[in-house]
Amino acid sequence: MISCRIVPYCLLFCFLVSFSSQDAAAHGGVVEEDDLCVIKVNYLRAQFKIYQPGATGHEQYCEDLPLASESVFVMEYQHDSLSKMPIDFRIIRDVTGKGRFARMEDIKNIADLESATVYYRPPIVEPHIYTVNYEFTEEGNFIGVVSAEHPASGKIYTAVFPFEVGFTGFGYWPFIIGLLFLIQFQYFLMSGRLKRWFGMKSVAAASLLVCGLLIAPASFADSLIVTYTTPDGDPAINRMHSWILHIENEDGLEIEGAIIEVEGGMPEHDHGLPTRPRITEELGGGDYRLEGMRFHMSGYWEVIVSITTDTGNFEVTIPLQL
Amino acid sequence: MTVACGRWSSSIPKWTETEIDILKSLWLKSLPDLPPDPSNAVADNPIAAEFGRLLFFDARLSANGGISCATCHQVERRFTDGLQEAQAIGTTARHTPSIVGTAYSPWQFWDGRRDSQWAQALAPLEDPNEHGTDRAAVLGLIAEDAGYRSTYESVFGALPELSNADPVLLNTAFANVGKSIAAFERTLMPTSSRFDDYVEAVVDADADRQAGLLGDVEIRGLRLFIGEANCTQCHNGPLFTNHEFHNTGVISFPGDVPDKARIAGVAEVLTSEFNCRSAYSDDPERQCDELKFARTGTDLIGAQKTPSLRNIENTAPFMHKGQLATITDVLAHYNEAPDAMIGHNEAEPLGLSDRELGQLEAFLATLAAPVSD
Repeated sequence: MISCRIVPYCLLFCFLVSFSSQDAAAHGGVVEEDDLCVIKVNYLRAQFKIYQPGATGHEQYCEDLPLASESVFVMEYQHDSLSKMPIDFRIIRDVTGKGRFARMEDIKNIADLESATVYYRPPIVEPHIYTVNYEFTEEGNFIGVVSAEHPASGKIYTAVFPFEVGFTGFGYWPFIIGLLFLIQFQYFLMSGRLKRWFGMKSVAAASLLVCGLLIAPASFADSLIVTYTTPDGDPAINRMHSWILHIENEDGLEIEGAIIEVEGGMPEHDHGLPTRPRITEELGGGDYRLEGMRFHMSGYWEVIVSITTDTGNFEVTIPLQL
Repeated sequence: MTVACGRWSSSIPKWTETEIDILKSLWLKSLPDLPPDPSNAVADNPIAAEFGRLLFFDARLSANGGISCATCHQVERRFTDGLQEAQAIGTTARHTPSIVGTAYSPWQFWDGRRDSQWAQALAPLEDPNEHGTDRAAVLGLIAEDAGYRSTYESVFGALPELSNADPVLLNTAFANVGKSIAAFERTLMPTSSRFDDYVEAVVDADADRQAGLLGDVEIRGLRLFIGEANCTQCHNGPLFTNHEFHNTGVISFPGDVPDKARIAGVAEVLTSEFNCRSAYSDDPERQCDELKFARTGTDLIGAQKTPSLRNIENTAPFMHKGQLATITDVLAHYNEAPDAMIGHNEAEPLGLSDRELGQLEAFLATLAAPVSD
């Protein structure tokens, strides 16, 4: 049973969350999702960030910018296909009169797009990440238009994101409005009017639904055992060397003919191995020669061995402290 | 009123066995023999090295007759130039890196877009913003300069006829120019610094000599360097570099977009005209393990090569575009470890005090030493 007293606080939380991601509802180009600013170019997505490095250093913006100054727009692709698509980038002064609600249709209706354009970068294929540097010389309302052309179909996908330069925030107004809303809500709740309107259970259930808990994904146990030896001696920092992997199941049966992929890295540093090691030879008896191993830093490493056999896919993580 | 009595000492705890092992790993005497470069048959040929030295300082190897390798790689600045962006025929895309000790590195340039010193040496010659010349003009100069021609031919055999030569022969001769410059660059090594002398005194357990070499502040800085400040995660080994690529969240240069760095560099080296797998490599086996197992992937976004810290005070400004003017700025940057503009900053905030940062800076100054002749 949910106490009626927590309901307004739960709703305050939801209100603040929804306020912080208001842009998601406002228009389709750039949205905030899970603290991440994302640009959606049709079904293709990229993490979207804007910086004003000269003015505010590493401070990240999702859309509105505080100053008319040098601005770096960054799209880090979440879909690899963007790496192969010619992408163009246009910034126009907002001549649509629609402000934050401008859509692609409004852009198409602009009679003289060129004269409204303050920056245009023609289509270019940029693998992995797309960056643009433009220096705003005046404050005002602008619209960004990103277009990507599908290399096979020739179809053009577009994202539109209105934004303001010289945006100093909404101040305390959203909080004052939120507070007034809550006081009124609490009054309705205490006076019993809300209960009469909807019934308490449905309010509580809706609150729970909105503020629902996430369930952590289950993890799966491995059932293969991987051991390794280093015939070239212990792994020294920054020396290319090979490993012999030995794979058997829990009953001691040596696994032959497996397809093995090796990845790895330093989880604490968020980077992978400096090389891309590969199995170069199956030696028999569950042994496989792994070449191209190199660790370039001391610290905690993990080597992840993905194994495909007749019976399924397995993943074994080998921890190493160097 | 009471007066506190007691003894306070400024002496620093002794090094543990583990710490001594780390100190030895950074010691110049631990530097292994120069690895062979099978892709360059004249890598250790002294005549080629002398030829390469002359070419390195020769400004005729440029479009305007005013730019040599030494314009940017200045001897007195540990083969750097003191500028944010190198100035040659035009302005280059990055800060001039040092070339001292780069014979030990599998990758050249900040983004590792070349895999040998000789392939690296060729790229600036034909870059319009650097020497702005081309292979035909370079070979034309060697053909016309009697001294160069005879030296070239004594090392590599007859220079091909330039007017209507097979492009492969021309490219081979051009590669030979790079191989000569590389033979010279292989001789550029750091020499023993005050830090190295101190490690020797530690290894010898000679307390008097140790006391005369590093002061308390420098020793505290060294202790931070190998410990809490995590510097040796990347700046390790006797050259104080792991020769690898890391994103450390350095801010973009005014007017530039953030540098993609290694993710673009690895794509380039895998297909570059003069790489280890090319016909111009002298290695008959062309094993090319570094290329074969080269890492790719998005965690290389914004990752630049770890520079050596030896003689660091001579290589200012710092980072790939000289964004940070002083060592103090660099240490403040790592202490903060801001989010990277692109990719992920691998470094974590250190939370060191200003006093501790000062100690680190004092230690780094002990790495000063002349470059080998």
